[in-house]
Amino acid sequence: MPERIATEGIIRHVAEIIIGELKLEDVTPDTFNPDMDLVDELGIDSMDLATIALVLQDEYKIVIDEDDYPKLKTVRFICEYIEEKLAAKC
Amino acid sequence: MNTISSLLNEDWHERYRRIANLNIRSSIYDLTNRCNLRCKGCFFFSSGEHIVTEEMDIKKWEHFIDKEKARGVNLAILIGGEPTLCMDRLEAFYKRLPTYCATNGLIKVSRDKFPDMMVGISLWGGGEDEKVLRGKDTFAVSSKNYEGDPYTYYLYTVTPRQVGKIEPVIKRIVDVGLKVHLQLLSNDESVDGFYWRQGELDDLRFEMDEMLDHYPQTIISSKYYHEVITTGMMLGRRFGWEECPSVTESLDTRKPPVRRLIHFYRWAADLKTIHRCCTSATRDCSTCKDGAAHMSWIMVNKREHMNTTRDMQNWIEVYEMFAKLYRLIPW
Repeated sequence: MPERIATEGIIRHVAEIIIGELKLEDVTPDTFNPDMDLVDELGIDSMDLATIALVLQDEYKIVIDEDDYPKLKTVRFICEYIEEKLAAKC
Repeated sequence: MNTISSLLNEDWHERYRRIANLNIRSSIYDLTNRCNLRCKGCFFFSSGEHIVTEEMDIKKWEHFIDKEKARGVNLAILIGGEPTLCMDRLEAFYKRLPTYCATNGLIKVSRDKFPDMMVGISLWGGGEDEKVLRGKDTFAVSSKNYEGDPYTYYLYTVTPRQVGKIEPVIKRIVDVGLKVHLQLLSNDESVDGFYWRQGELDDLRFEMDEMLDHYPQTIISSKYYHEVITTGMMLGRRFGWEECPSVTESLDTRKPPVRRLIHFYRWAADLKTIHRCCTSATRDCSTCKDGAAHMSWIMVNKREHMNTTRDMQNWIEVYEMFAKLYRLIPW
């Protein structure tokens, strides 16, 4: 259970960052669909991703390689990516 | 919160998907300082940007291109000077990267060596304007060199004197089986009679729209692009230094940061000097009419076009236009 709580916390936090950085209206971290395709549905582009990646790097003290951007397709994938990076640091 | 599927029906969404993941990282390279023409209004020579010591060692070019590729560049746009004066450098790029060659068309690029390299031939209007501005009617030569070539199009820079006279030029291009993209003269060298007046730009927009309706198989363009390039306005914002996306990354100190082309650089032919932007630093950005810069301006502002269905469709049409110009999607 603690792992799941941690995952949900990251998902919520990532959603919060995306909403804040993209100034999204009418959506909250709780109502943000973590499986929504960020490019295909939300319309973000590589500059948006770069901006979000910078914030995530600061928040989680990880390095996000630009080559990995295509992996960051949804909030859930971003969360899994962050968890992998954090695990690799341990 | 608008999403793509809330704005687009399935057909448009499919068109969006086709371009949304292209992730183009372009940069511009002055392949040489030399040219076989000296056109009035050419920013390259009027700005003095050609005054660098050209790198002559092909091995250094090859090493440079490899480094550019490693930097993430996936589309090399070659300008000059006249790139076809340096076929070895052209080949070095072509062997390593998707490459676009901007040429005046006087020298034919061998299709045996460069079978699918995109070629854009500059054209500055009808025969008379070409003679005034470029010293000769280049179309007579370039059209023979590239007739029917499936990887070539004309980049027709429309001048104020061409307003009302575009169609004969388009027809000549139709007759030689090529495509054409339209852009506007910026008159960098203040040539008399080639300044834009607003009324002319309004008329030109109407004329370009009409030509696109009449020659959709020949003209690679979009009406929204016509609107933005003739008005200098997009979604209530005015084009200028505060908005331009085509600024060399390391020279871009604008605050707050501007939506821009990621990793974009424009390199001089010494492979050391970098230029400010895709045109010249001497140009007044508020009157810049550069087609590529305006196109990119629209493209980097995708989410700003997610307000209405029409705005989003406009954005898609411009992105498709860009993708067609580089054959990233079929014509």
